[in-house]
Formats: sequence, structure tokens, C-alpha cells
Amino acid sequence: MIKRLAVRTWTILASLQVTIVSLALLMALVVLCTLAQTELGTLGAVNTYMRSMVVWRQVQGIPFRLPLFPGGALVGLVLVVNLTAALIKRFEFSARRLGLWVVHAGLILLVAGEFCTGAFQVDTRMTIEQGQTVDFVESYHQMELAVTDVTDPSHDVAYGIPDTLLKDGAAIALPGTPLTFKVQRYYVNATLARRGENDPPSPATMGVGANVTVTPQPPATADNDVNAASVFVEPVAGGRSYGTWLVSAALGAPQTFIHEGRSYALAVRPRRYYLPYAVTLKKFSHDVYAGTNIPKNFSSLVHLSNAATGEERDVLIYMNQPLRYQGRTFYQASYGKGDTLSVLQVVSNPGWLIPYLSCALITLGLLVHFGITLFNALKRRQVLREAV
Amino acid sequence: MKFAKLFSWLPGLLAVIAVLATALPPGPTRGFDLQAFGRTPVLEGGRIKPLDSVARNALLMIRGKQSVRDQGRTVGPDEWIADVLFRPAVADAQDIFVINDPDVLGLMGLRQTSNRYFSFAAIEPFIPEIEKQARAAQALEAVQRSRFQNAVVNLFDRLLLFNQLENTVQLADSPGLFMELQSLRDPQSAVRRKNLAEAAKFRILPPLAGQPGDAWQNTGEALDAAAAGLVHPGLATLAALGGSYATGNADLFNRSAVQFHGLTATIQPAALRHADNEILFNRVQPFYAGMVIYVLALLVLFTSWLWRRELLQPAAFSLLAGGALVHTVGLASRIILQGRPPVTNLYSSAIFVGWAAVVLGVLLERMYRKGFGTAVAAAAGFASLIVAHHLSMEGDTMEMMRAVLDSNFWLATHVVSITIGYSGTFLAGIIAIAYTLRKHIAPDPDPATTRVLVDMTYGIVCFALLFSFVGTVLGGIWADQSWGRFWGWDPKENGALLIVLWNAIILHCRWGDYVREKGLMAMAIFGNIITSLSWFGVNMLGVGLHSYGFMDQAFWALAIFDASQLVLIGICLMPRRFHLAGTT
Repeated sequence: MIKRLAVRTWTILASLQVTIVSLALLMALVVLCTLAQTELGTLGAVNTYMRSMVVWRQVQGIPFRLPLFPGGALVGLVLVVNLTAALIKRFEFSARRLGLWVVHAGLILLVAGEFCTGAFQVDTRMTIEQGQTVDFVESYHQMELAVTDVTDPSHDVAYGIPDTLLKDGAAIALPGTPLTFKVQRYYVNATLARRGENDPPSPATMGVGANVTVTPQPPATADNDVNAASVFVEPVAGGRSYGTWLVSAALGAPQTFIHEGRSYALAVRPRRYYLPYAVTLKKFSHDVYAGTNIPKNFSSLVHLSNAATGEERDVLIYMNQPLRYQGRTFYQASYGKGDTLSVLQVVSNPGWLIPYLSCALITLGLLVHFGITLFNALKRRQVLREAV
Repeated sequence: MKFAKLFSWLPGLLAVIAVLATALPPGPTRGFDLQAFGRTPVLEGGRIKPLDSVARNALLMIRGKQSVRDQGRTVGPDEWIADVLFRPAVADAQDIFVINDPDVLGLMGLRQTSNRYFSFAAIEPFIPEIEKQARAAQALEAVQRSRFQNAVVNLFDRLLLFNQLENTVQLADSPGLFMELQSLRDPQSAVRRKNLAEAAKFRILPPLAGQPGDAWQNTGEALDAAAAGLVHPGLATLAALGGSYATGNADLFNRSAVQFHGLTATIQPAALRHADNEILFNRVQPFYAGMVIYVLALLVLFTSWLWRRELLQPAAFSLLAGGALVHTVGLASRIILQGRPPVTNLYSSAIFVGWAAVVLGVLLERMYRKGFGTAVAAAAGFASLIVAHHLSMEGDTMEMMRAVLDSNFWLATHVVSITIGYSGTFLAGIIAIAYTLRKHIAPDPDPATTRVLVDMTYGIVCFALLFSFVGTVLGGIWADQSWGRFWGWDPKENGALLIVLWNAIILHCRWGDYVREKGLMAMAIFGNIITSLSWFGVNMLGVGLHSYGFMDQAFWALAIFDASQLVLIGICLMPRRFHLAGTT
């Protein structure tokens, strides 16, 4: 009985019907995801339809969300299982089947690579002005509460508390300092306004926050919108409170307090990752075609300096020509400030080679398989013609 | 027998000869050698092109055709641009603005009649109102505009283009360049020069020896330099050209044109050579000619199914081959003129999709010799060139590539593979349509031919899957090189993925024996819908990195096409008793 059930499950798992239904579902998801982009933005649509197990929909009048459709991750998973099962069950190693075998192995690798990218890829950016030297990259979406010891005018010491730790009621001790931060309220996204006469009093007792009203907002979804993360936080050190401060990405200048002769500046900013090397922008160029505004080329001439390895060299980063260095890839992404500022997209993705590999496999497999098919068809035709 | 074989090649040969004949330069108009004037190289839109191209592109945008009908006579592009530049009063009175939108006509107090063409002079009193409406509409995103708003913005843009052209070599209200050259010290002159430099649509004065290659000047800038003491030697000749044209002195005009070319030939010989090649291409209009030949091939082929099949079927094939030859030469000329791989924008993708489909069709015909290869190839070539013709109204089809697209390697690999994938999917769909119609019309279709059609479709779907997959993947690699992600779920990427998935579904259904002949054909027709949406539909969403070609007017054409394909799928799947000729 159990054996029969197992055999049946195995047959279904490896069946071509499952493949076809999954492919059709995937097509539907791709269409829905594409249409949804006008409303949700690319990231929102992809998260809803492609990177989810189930596509949920809130229907008016029903208190809970309804599962509308299987999500892209689920369909992808089913396809991989189905494919693997089919490979084991049906495929024999013969010259005739070789091409198909390679194609499907390549497909499994491709999907695996996408899962790897989803799990391990870190997208950051480096914003750098001409003449400036920068040794960190910033996250696009994650924020941090930055605490900078600015006592020594010759160099700052920066500490960052990532937004994942900023939870209401949390107390975070900052390693390397005597400071502890008590989080009173944290907003993923908020708008700030000057406090009106009838507004309730602000929780902030120190800094500009006392005169500001904070209105929570839903997280930003459009591709170019950035969350204005805001936090009411109370620094405590040596048993003494330094009051409650409002620190927000929407506030311009950092706010400073002094503890035992050391000055600490508070700010919320995109999360920084420090690099063991520094990049200096020597020149940013933005060429246009003569007599038009059509951009012809963007390029950043940077100087790379790595004290640990003793490397000192100039690199030209331009369209379709990124710099790959120590596991990170630097791309020319944007520019600003009258062409004196360059924005480089910095990506680290340990699996970046997988798609290249899998694509080579699939292409090769398709060529072999269709080549054999074509050869056979031509041979059959020849036989037919000779018979006539 | 031998004679019949020779005869069958005759139509194709004649077609090619007829096309070659159009390459001959036309004679003078009213004594003016306007074709010599049209060869003048200018810098416009970031590239060197003959004045003739500027005129044709402007006319296509403004009027939808490359010539003007005026008082019972056809005005060619070179004559038109000469009038615009030097006799603005004449150009103002020609009916060149095509207006179809009833609300825009209503804005000018006009009823919709059979006359759709209006002159600048007729529209002029309404320009303030048109501008007001257009400015209001321009504040909206293109996708949010209503039909009227799109139409009024479009009309305003065309009026602006016309106005810029009229004020490029000399101001439209100026007595001529001679006056400007003589009154450089005049206090009003500086203002006029500034206006002229700002309005200019193109730069006509080539860089002098020692200046960088792209330092072309418009007349406003050159007059400024002249005021500062540096007189461009071309200015006086240009003034003579304009003055003689306006006063009707054909002899002086022709001599001045030769003199101006002599100057360009000495200081910028490459520009003049390029302009000469492009003007040849303009005159032949290979894609228009190809379109006509493909239609002829189709007509001859249809006739062959009713009458003298043994004679007409090879004749149709020879016409197809002639059309393919013209199409190929046109495509190759574009590649050479532009110095780019074949597909650089939506327009050229249509040209290329058609070309690849025709080549595949020719190969199929050589393999199977049933006439169906000819039919589908001619139909595909004709349809894609019609699409291209409509896309050419957007402006210069050899526009410069934006920075991120400026990579010949990826344009040659990714874009070409994707486009061949489109061709394949369309071709499979067209074969399936031919199969459907044949089954309904032919009284007793012979099974061997049916088998051939099924084999062809299957083979082409395999081919399309290979190319669309490889193209999609190469696109991923390009994206990884330039943006740091292999796959970004961008609408155009998704469109390509849909084609890959659909072709994969067709093949798996076939391998699993879930569909037979009819099902395979119906699925292949559905491939047309997927491809049309992926090719054009996603551009209409107005989101993503590939939304460089937003088109509003194409929306209905696309909707009608897709609806027609759905109807054909229905017809394809009908049981036998509903067949027109299959009552047995």
C-alpha cells in the first residue's frame, strides 16, 4: 500500500504534466508581475509575485488575506523537484538524449543560481565626489543609526547600529564605547513636520526633535523612493541619561551630545559597509553626441589604493565595463552635482558565475539536441526522396 | 523546359531592375538642381547625414509621407526643404500637417472631412491655443494622457519642428543671409543671431581645418564668429544659395551648390561621401520596394493555386527571392551607414524580424517546394515591413545609441538573437495560420503536405526556442555587465522569458503527445500573440529600463492583431464539420 503510494507520488513528481502546468503558471506569474510593476514598482511586484511562495490578496469584507495564486518561489521549487525527478527517472544516457540531459541539468543550475543570488547578493552603492576619497559602500534599502565619535578633529570613529536591531523598547550597548542606546519608538518610514500648536508633545526632550511632529508612513515601494527611517532614542552612559533624541534620515545635520569629554554625533543614514581599501574619484566624464543631449558615455576615472596589499592604481569604470575587485563589482550607475559626482553601484554576489555556466550548458545542449533532430529529419527526407 | 525555367526567374529579375532604376538621380525642378542641394551633409541628432534625410524624416513626422502633394503636383523632399529654408511663405501655404484627431480639429473650429492635411498658414492663428493645451498635457506622464492630449502634444511637436527648420539657415522673417552678413554691426543683429543659433535644427557649416571633427556650426553660430572677425568661407556661398533660390535664379543656385560641395569636399571629404551613400539609400527606399515585391509574390502565388501552378509557383518564388535580395541589400546598407549591428531600435528590429523570417521561409521553400515557404515568407516580409514603415514616422531611424546601449558586441549578439527568436516564433505562427486557412478552404488537402506543414512548424519552434533562449541569456549577461544583476524582472526581460516559456510549453506538449496536429498549430498561432506583446506591448507599460520607445497609437493596432489571432485559433480548433470545404 505504502509502496504503491510512493510509486504514484514518484510518477506524479516526475511527470510531464507537472512540468507543463508549472511552466504555464510561471508564464501567468510573469505576466501578472509585469503588469503590477506600473503600480507597485519593480521591487514590490517581484517580491509579491516572484519571490513569494504564495501570492496573497486582501479582499474587502474578508478579515484575512486570501491565497490568490502560487508564488514564483513555489513554482520554481516545484519545477526543480519535477526536473530532478524526471532526470533520474526517465533520462537514459544515450547519444540521442545527451543534448536534452545537458539542457535540463543547466536549467537546474540556472534556478539554483537565482536562489543563490536571492540569498547572498548584496546591492550597495558608492557616492563619491571628484577629489573625494571613500572607503565604504552604502546599502540601498537598509538604514543604520550612526554614532560617530567626532572628538578628534583629524579623524572620526564611526559606529553603526543596523536597522534590524532598532526595535521599540530595545536597549543596545555599543561595543567599544561606554554608551547604551534605548530605543523608544522606531519608524521604518515617516514624514517630519514642524510641530503645530495643537499637536501632542514630542517624546523628544533634546535636540531639534522637541519641535517636530513625526507621522508614520508605510514603507516605500516605488523603485526610486527611499524610506525616511526615524527613531526616538535615549543614549545612556555611566548611569546617566542624555535625554531622548529624534534621529531621522529626513533630518539634515547630525546632532551631538558630549559624554566625559567625548563628542558623539547621531544620525540615521543608509547602512555603511567599510572596505579594506579606498577609492578616490579623479574625474567623472559625461559625453553627449555633438549638438544633442543624447548621452554618449559616462565614465569614472578612479584611483584604487589598498594599504594591505600595497596596490596603487588608476581604474576607468564605464558603461558595460565594471571593476571587479576582491569579490565586489563596481558599476557606473548614476551621476549628479553638475557632473562632479559619480554614483557607483557596488554588488557582491558569490554566485555571479553560475548563470554564465548554466547558460553555456543549456545553449550547448539545445544545439546538440536540435542539431541531431535536424540531421535525422534531413536523413528521413533523403530516404523518402530516394524511395520516390 | 529550359525556357520555362528561365522564364520563372524573369519576374524577380525585372523587380530588381525596377528597383535599381529608382537609384538614378531625378532631373532638375524648374531648372534648380535640387538633388545636388539635398546631398549637402549636415550634423543633426548627433550624426552626419545629407539634408535629404533631414527633409524626409521631417516630412515623415509631419505629414506621414516622404513627399508633399501641392496644387496637383508632387513636391519631393529636396524641393520641400529648399522652400522651408529659403521660401518660408511658399512652405507655409503647403498642406503638410496631417491631423486626424476630431477634437484637435474641433479646437481649430474645423469639422472632420476627407481632407486631413492643413498648411502652417491655416493652423497659425490657433497656435497659442494649441500651445496652451499641449503644455498642460506635457505636464502629465505619457501613459496618463488622453487621446486628445496625445494628439495635441503631437501636433505641437510637429509645429515646433517645422518652425525650427524654417529658422535654421536664416530667420523665417529675414530677407536672407546676405542682409545678415552685411549688418553684423547692427545693434539688432546680435539678438537675431542668438535667436537663429537657438532655433537651428541642424548644423550645416562643416568644421574648418584644425577644428575638431564634430565642431559643425549652424549659421547663427557662424554669424557670431563672423562678427568676431572669423568668417566661415561657406557662409557667403550659403547666402548665395538662399538668395538665388528665393529670387528664382536657377543658374546661380546650381553654381553655388557645386561651390558649397567643393568646399565640403576639401575640408570634410568623409562627410560628403557618407551623405552621398545615404542619399542613394534614401532614393531607392529598399524597404518600401521590398514591401511591394513581397505583395506581388503573394498575389502571384495565390493565383498559382488556381491557374498554371507549374509556371506561376516558381515565378512567385523568384519574386520572393528578388524581394529578399532588395531587403538584404537595404539591411546591409543600414549596417554600413550606421556602423552598427542590424538592430538598434524598434524600427530596425521590425526590418530585421522580417528579413530573418524571409530567409527562413526561402530555406523552407528550397527544402519542401510546396509553395508554402514562399507564402509565409512573403507574408512575413510584407507584414514586418508595413510595421517598420509605420515606426519610421517617429523620426530618424538611424538615431544615435544612448550610452548604456552603446556596445556593438551586445547589440550584435543579444539583440540579434532575441530578434531572430521573434522571427522564428512569428514564422511558426504564420505557417500555422496557412495550415488553418488551407484546411478550411482546400476541398481535399493532401496528407503529405499537411505533414510537411506540421514538420515545418515543429522545426521552426525548436529554432525559435534556441534563439530566444540564447538571446535572453545573453541579455542577462549584458545586464550583469552593466547593472550588476543577471535578471531584474524588467518588462522587456519578462517578455523575452514569456516567449522562451511558451515555446518550451509547445515542445513539451508535443513530446508528451498532449497535443497533435491541430493543437500544435493553435499553440503556434498563440505564439504570435506572446511575441507581439513582448515586442511592442511591454513598451506601452511605460516602466522599466527598456521603455525607450513608448507608443500610444500602436496600442489599437496591437489589440486588433491579437484579437485576430484569437479568432484564428478558434478557427484552427473548429471540428471538421465546420470547415468551409470539408463537408465530406
